[in-house]
Amino acid sequence: MLDFDAVTKRFGSLTALDGCTFTARPGRLTGFLGPNGAGKTTAMRAVFGLVELDAGTVRWQGRPVTATERARFGYMPEERGLYPRMRVRDQLVYLGQLCGRGATDVGRTVDGWLERLGVAARAGDRLDALSHGNQQRVQLIAALVGDPDLLVLDEPFAGLDPIAMDTMGELLTDLAAGGVTVLFSSHQLDLVEDLCQDVVIIEHGRIVLAGELAELRAKVPQRFVDIRYRGLAPNWSLLPSAELVEAGDGQARLRVGRDADLAAVVAAARDRADIISFAYQPPTLSELFREAVAA
Amino acid sequence: MNGVRQGWLVTKRELRERARSRAFLASVALMVVAVAAMLVIPALLKPGGGTRDVGVTGSAASGLAAAIAEQAHAAGITARVHPYGSVAAGEQAVRQGRLDVLAAGARRLEWQGRADQQLKTVVTGAIQVVTVRERAAAAGLRPEAAAALLAPMPVSSVELGHVAGRGPADETAVIVMTGVLFFCISIFGAMVLNGVLEEKGSRVVEVLLARIPARALLAGKIAGIGLLGLAQIAVTALAAVIAVTAVGSIDVPAIRGSVLAWAVVWFVLGYALYATVYGALGSLGSRAEDAQAVAGPVMVLLPVAYFASFFMITQPASAAARVISYFPLTAPFAMPGRIAMGATAWWEPVLAVVLTLATIIGLVQLAGRLYTGAILHSGPALSLKDAWRSTTTAIPGPSPARAHTSTTLRHRARALAGGKTTMTQRDLASHRLLITVLTGIAVALGVTVAILTSDVILGVIAGFGFFAVATMMVRLWTGHSGPPLAHH
Repeated sequence: MLDFDAVTKRFGSLTALDGCTFTARPGRLTGFLGPNGAGKTTAMRAVFGLVELDAGTVRWQGRPVTATERARFGYMPEERGLYPRMRVRDQLVYLGQLCGRGATDVGRTVDGWLERLGVAARAGDRLDALSHGNQQRVQLIAALVGDPDLLVLDEPFAGLDPIAMDTMGELLTDLAAGGVTVLFSSHQLDLVEDLCQDVVIIEHGRIVLAGELAELRAKVPQRFVDIRYRGLAPNWSLLPSAELVEAGDGQARLRVGRDADLAAVVAAARDRADIISFAYQPPTLSELFREAVAA
Repeated sequence: MNGVRQGWLVTKRELRERARSRAFLASVALMVVAVAAMLVIPALLKPGGGTRDVGVTGSAASGLAAAIAEQAHAAGITARVHPYGSVAAGEQAVRQGRLDVLAAGARRLEWQGRADQQLKTVVTGAIQVVTVRERAAAAGLRPEAAAALLAPMPVSSVELGHVAGRGPADETAVIVMTGVLFFCISIFGAMVLNGVLEEKGSRVVEVLLARIPARALLAGKIAGIGLLGLAQIAVTALAAVIAVTAVGSIDVPAIRGSVLAWAVVWFVLGYALYATVYGALGSLGSRAEDAQAVAGPVMVLLPVAYFASFFMITQPASAAARVISYFPLTAPFAMPGRIAMGATAWWEPVLAVVLTLATIIGLVQLAGRLYTGAILHSGPALSLKDAWRSTTTAIPGPSPARAHTSTTLRHRARALAGGKTTMTQRDLASHRLLITVLTGIAVALGVTVAILTSDVILGVIAGFGFFAVATMMVRLWTGHSGPPLAHH
């Protein structure tokens, strides 16, 4: 369990982190969201002591994070980078040894990951001889060589092709299922919605929303009604206690209050159009995000 | 997992990866070949080594030939004597380069170009001896009596400017040693600089610093490159020794084992000191191309320290030479020379080693801090000031007003955080360390100057002067008003 407790970091007059408090739990994927410059990278660096905090503490299993704890953390920085001229396997074994593991032990882990991610054949090559995709795989292994209990990934999906994205998603889900605490940042909200159980949203260095995704969605006072219909578009804005969010060809999305009389909305809609289907649901993550960030 | 073990892993990586690189192997091979060639080629270009050809003409030829051989032997050179029937034939040989000199009728020496002073002394001496012998015989002296009369009296030469027992050979050895040290520090220091910039350029540094402290990364890198440097020097030195023994081209001055051991100690210390500075400065840049831009301060400092050591050579026992040989930045260049010239009491090198070690430890702390502050920066090269600042905020200045405000701020931050701010305390610890190191050096310097000059006031001035200059430099570099002075 990773805890941010009132973490504050200033760079001169800029407050990058402003009393950030949130938790990432073991066995779960936590999505770390926020617009560019909101403080995601600074917060992740704070876990690894790469920025000196002005106030607050980052805790792991209730204890302030020190070098001992960090040996069991894996990190993939936003700026990817390894030694371009070092051989792939040598490099990964070296990084694993820096986490305090023995060479043979790390060797087995490295070989296992190289095999699983399909780069075993390139183990003896220099990193700069590998394709971009393979270099990214090696970078991911670099975060995993310490056999981490906590995995912090800064934009792990950036620059991946759709297949690689699926692989990465499955891998993170597997790791979480194995008890690892996974915290990653992303701008791909649909993907986060699919993968993550928990989300943390940061804006201007402040945590604006944090918790279990399902719970957060349920807590929001708005609900959405998605209508599919045949024929011409009626004037949806005249429906009682509902607000048109978007209208398209044969479909419309309406916002209603959590306590709205759904039957009345449905009945009013039926009067206006030949309805195919109704769907009543809480807001999507991207709606939550926009709402939270705009506030 | 402690920093020492991690540092050692870094060292091993440096050794393995660098020893594997073709560029390194090529540079070692080149150095070995260059040194061997430098020693062997001059010997090959002068066939017969030190053998000179002397032509003689005239009636005294036979006696003169023997005398020349004798005198040449005494001077440590080999001379072959060729009699010529006429001066013209001899001159012809000189012009063709077959003779180094022609002694025409034991009255005139004829050279092709400028006279070789050593050979001139030898031949002139021989002519004098033969002439005196002839005159003695003419005066009726028996050959034995003449020989006794002419027996050479050995005369030794002492240079009073030097410490007893040490001579010009030691001076040469010292100049060579200091030069090699300067050369090595420059080369290997630049390797540390480039290594740091390479890690920043490839961005691997963030992956590394998430695992190990900056201090361990820097110290491990410096140790790795240093060990490799020592190995390279050892290989080159071995090649030089083999080349010299093979051709016997130059006399190696006999250097005592203890002097050599001290030279190695000072190589290690001098390298560690300057490599740390190089490493810290390297962290201010973000690519290999920034090397020139960021290395400015040390590229000025290093030659100044090196040339300051020449002052020591002429006056190894003077008070100024002593101060230079204690001051950590110049000690690696000046102290080995003073030791070699036998101008030190036993405690002097020990004191200098302690001072230098303390400075290195202080520098590694400082450099580690700068490194962490600057390492995550990319883009144009940082100034020292920015690097220092980016690691920290709210550094209390010495003015009571500022100290007060920032303390209040800190209390407020602490209250907000609902706990203690451990990071800020680490900040303070590093400032305290800096102050302690600077004060330590200043006190040591002041005391030594006071002892050496028997003048307490001078010592106090030296100590305060050092502290003032050092804190001023910190201020200039960091842009804040100096490290905190006991406000906490």
